[in-house]
Amino acid sequence: MYKKIIWPVIVLIASLLALIFLSGFVYSVFITTGDDELPVDEQAVPTDDTTEEPIAGMPEEAIGERSVIDPNPEEWETVLVMGDSLGSGVGDEDGLGFDQRYLELLSQDDSLERELTNISVPGFVSSQLADQLDTGEYDLDIETADLILISIGGNDLNRLYFQDNETMIAEFDETLSAFLSNLESVLTTIRSLNPEAQLALIGLYDPYNLEDQEINRLLLEWNHASRLAASADARLAYIPTYEAFQYHLADYLSDDLFHPNGAGYQTIAESLYQVLN
Amino acid sequence: MKSSVLKVSHLAKKIKKLQIIHDVSFDIREGEILGFLGPNGSGKTTTLRMIVGLSKPTGGDVTICGHSLKTDYVKAMSNVGCIIEGPDLYGYMSGYKNLELLANMSEGVTKQDIDDAVTLVGMEKRIHDKVDVYSMGMKQRVGLAQALIHKPRLLILDEPTNGLDPQGIHEFREIVKKLARETGISVLVSSHLISEVQLMCDRVSIINKGRIIKNASVEELVSTGQVVWTVDQPLKAQTFLKERFALDTVLEHQTLTALVGVDRLPGINRTLVEEGFKITYVDNKKQTLENLFLSLTDNKSIQ
Amino acid sequence: MTALTRNELLKMLLKKKMLLILFFLLIFVSLFSYGQQYAYERNLEQFEAETGEELPDWRDLADRRLDDLESRRANESIPENVRTSFDREIQQLTYFIENDINPITPTAFSFNTEFAEQGIVLFIPLLVIILAADLVSGEFSNRTVKILLTRAVPRWKILLSKFLALFMMTTILVFLVAVLSTLVSFLFFGEWGINEPVLTGFTLSEGTLMSDSTILISRWRYTILIYSLVWFVSIVIASITLMVSVLVDSSSSAIGILMAALIGGQFLQFFLADWELVQYFFVTNLDLPRYLTGSFQPVEGMTLTFSILTLAVWAVLSLIIGFVQFSRRDVLV
Ligand SMILES: Nc1ncnc2c1ncn2[C@@H]1O[C@H](COP(=O)(O)OP(=O)(O)OP(=O)(O)O)[C@@H](O)[C@H]1O
Ligand SMILES: [Mg+2]
Repeated sequence: MYKKIIWPVIVLIASLLALIFLSGFVYSVFITTGDDELPVDEQAVPTDDTTEEPIAGMPEEAIGERSVIDPNPEEWETVLVMGDSLGSGVGDEDGLGFDQRYLELLSQDDSLERELTNISVPGFVSSQLADQLDTGEYDLDIETADLILISIGGNDLNRLYFQDNETMIAEFDETLSAFLSNLESVLTTIRSLNPEAQLALIGLYDPYNLEDQEINRLLLEWNHASRLAASADARLAYIPTYEAFQYHLADYLSDDLFHPNGAGYQTIAESLYQVLN
Repeated sequence: MKSSVLKVSHLAKKIKKLQIIHDVSFDIREGEILGFLGPNGSGKTTTLRMIVGLSKPTGGDVTICGHSLKTDYVKAMSNVGCIIEGPDLYGYMSGYKNLELLANMSEGVTKQDIDDAVTLVGMEKRIHDKVDVYSMGMKQRVGLAQALIHKPRLLILDEPTNGLDPQGIHEFREIVKKLARETGISVLVSSHLISEVQLMCDRVSIINKGRIIKNASVEELVSTGQVVWTVDQPLKAQTFLKERFALDTVLEHQTLTALVGVDRLPGINRTLVEEGFKITYVDNKKQTLENLFLSLTDNKSIQ
Repeated sequence: MTALTRNELLKMLLKKKMLLILFFLLIFVSLFSYGQQYAYERNLEQFEAETGEELPDWRDLADRRLDDLESRRANESIPENVRTSFDREIQQLTYFIENDINPITPTAFSFNTEFAEQGIVLFIPLLVIILAADLVSGEFSNRTVKILLTRAVPRWKILLSKFLALFMMTTILVFLVAVLSTLVSFLFFGEWGINEPVLTGFTLSEGTLMSDSTILISRWRYTILIYSLVWFVSIVIASITLMVSVLVDSSSSAIGILMAALIGGQFLQFFLADWELVQYFFVTNLDLPRYLTGSFQPVEGMTLTFSILTLAVWAVLSLIIGFVQFSRRDVLV
């Protein structure tokens, strides 16, 4: 009985399973490393959909590459900063914020005198920013700006953090789509006034470094969506901060454990420099 | 002369700087039963372990049917069946499953071979029970069957009658003897039971403190070379033997004892009868193996 | 060799270890599923109690998002790759809407992967250890190694047959974990969720986690991916266990040593995360699925490839040590 039936059946099943597992295993390795060659910096060239071996019937592709028209920082004379507390530099011991730190970095390359306007309001959520621009009060600033730095969304998302998991997940989609439409309206306003300026949208980092995978996933999804939205505009650069902050929270956060400190702002400024220059 | 099935030459074993076996050599010929005799802790099991490849000698070599254990392990081992220190079987399966399993490990063992072995050791009735519920004696029997299924030419048994009742010991002995007689299998059996060795073996190797101190046939060992006569006229016979055969005899309770070669005995006896002596009893005087064993292993001068 | 492997497999089956393991598994899976179901229901109730209203209808939200995506997709100026990513999200949403599934309801197929993700560092290795720990040491402690090693078979073949049998049983065990966790949790949740789309494929590039290259695959495929990783980890654990089993005399010390390594390794990972050597310890690398879900990594700069290589090296070294030691070892029982 054993020799005749059970043994061959076990061998057959085990070999079949081992084959399936082996191919699944190879595939897992493939999708997490398969496109290592993809450029990580902003110089990304849109790739065609051949990077991966597709599983039958499912379209998949490496996406999210930002297509940026070569910026030329030498011509940026007027810089405008808008958005929330990050834009106004809350938490920076030196009171500089990422904008001034970025300009400092720029000034190392050339001697151009740059004019900086900061209209950020701490605590702003995306809808407030959209309303702010709709007042028309800042139209002139927008029209004349060569470079516009936008930091928004952190407060939208932060509200969700303090809810329990299920609610958070339930409300996430709603919050994200509200954010995206506000962002769209902000961008539309800016572009209607100034189609030429270089824009940059600062991505979100996770100040709590929660090990909760679900929350982490949501944040990544948020950033992913923002990045997608950003990619619709060829002169809008998305500035990632998540990765830079992830393992250095202790070094980059100020005493309130929410806003960046000087070093954190410096990192953002460097990311800006890296992406824009 | 028959070829030697097992040849052990200059075997030595050191465990943790302690020399347990020193230079052990002996051999077994086809169909021969060799007793391996020695007191507790003398190194019997250690030697047998090296012979069946369970542990590696630190010196010397073992050759089984012409194949060295060192260089030709598989061929050498295919001729060996053994029980080393108790019949250890898989308790969670039946005796029969155990045998099947082990049969699978050797080439060309048929179901018939298994059944034969089971019949030989008399376990037909209980062979399908779980080994866990076997008595010690049943395990010994299945243990023997296990050692025989692949028809080895050399059987190595380490104290195989442990835990058997007298009836069992007798049966066991008869099985082994029958095997040696009928199939020509050679047997190396270790024991500290002298009577067992005496009844079962053709030859004996005595080991003590890791050295072989005697290698001889059972006959040779027990025979003292002395002959005992009981005759009607002992005094007259004594003088007659002295004059005619130059034999020095000792007279004791109507019996005469003398050192005499076995070959001369028929001639002497015939002459005595012709001279009119009435012989009521003649025997080769034997010493017990036990005495010999004790004298050999206790007396440190013999080594 | 086939006969030897068949023997070893038979021994493993007759020891009824698998039944014990399945029993453990059943209990754990049931507890886990019950816990999830309970937590889910409690959360819904709580939400209703707090807000006095029902959960906002997820379908409205999804519909709105869908409209939004479709209108933007229609925009001709967006690059092609962005459009395909919109397609992907549209596809995911459409699936949920069409099948009338709220994306947050627990399903059998989301449970089985979650169970694997949770179990891969301790519970599943434990099952493998139970299966493998007495493979050699057990033969020593009940002294049957003597009848095993006095056959006309070289020792390496004996150990190889044990490894092959273990390989097969481990493979089947992983499959059973998947099947049991799916079936049992289905009893609790009543939803298979077999075709729900999942996002995966985060890459680590120059030390940072990239979410751009993610792909969308269906639940059951994702389950296969996760269980493939579980399988690999299990084989590695099996190899290490086999070595320990060769090195020690009793199965209980083998289990003890391995449990200590597993649990101690977790501690090491938390307290000594900065110590570079920690990342070369096998326990630190067991949690392979986290690379698929793109979550937090214990030690900076570890990648799936790194972890897999480390584990593979551990497995190979273990097997080498095991084989050498098994061939050399004196059997003195
Ligand atoms: N693993 C070991 N380590 C150290 N010494 C050992 C080991 N195994 C056996 N010995 C020693 O080797 C000697 C011989 O042991 P062995 O088991 O061969 O004796 P034996 O002749 O079989 O005795 P018995 O009649 O009691 O079975 C003993 O003195 C024993 O103490
Ligand atoms: Mg002994």
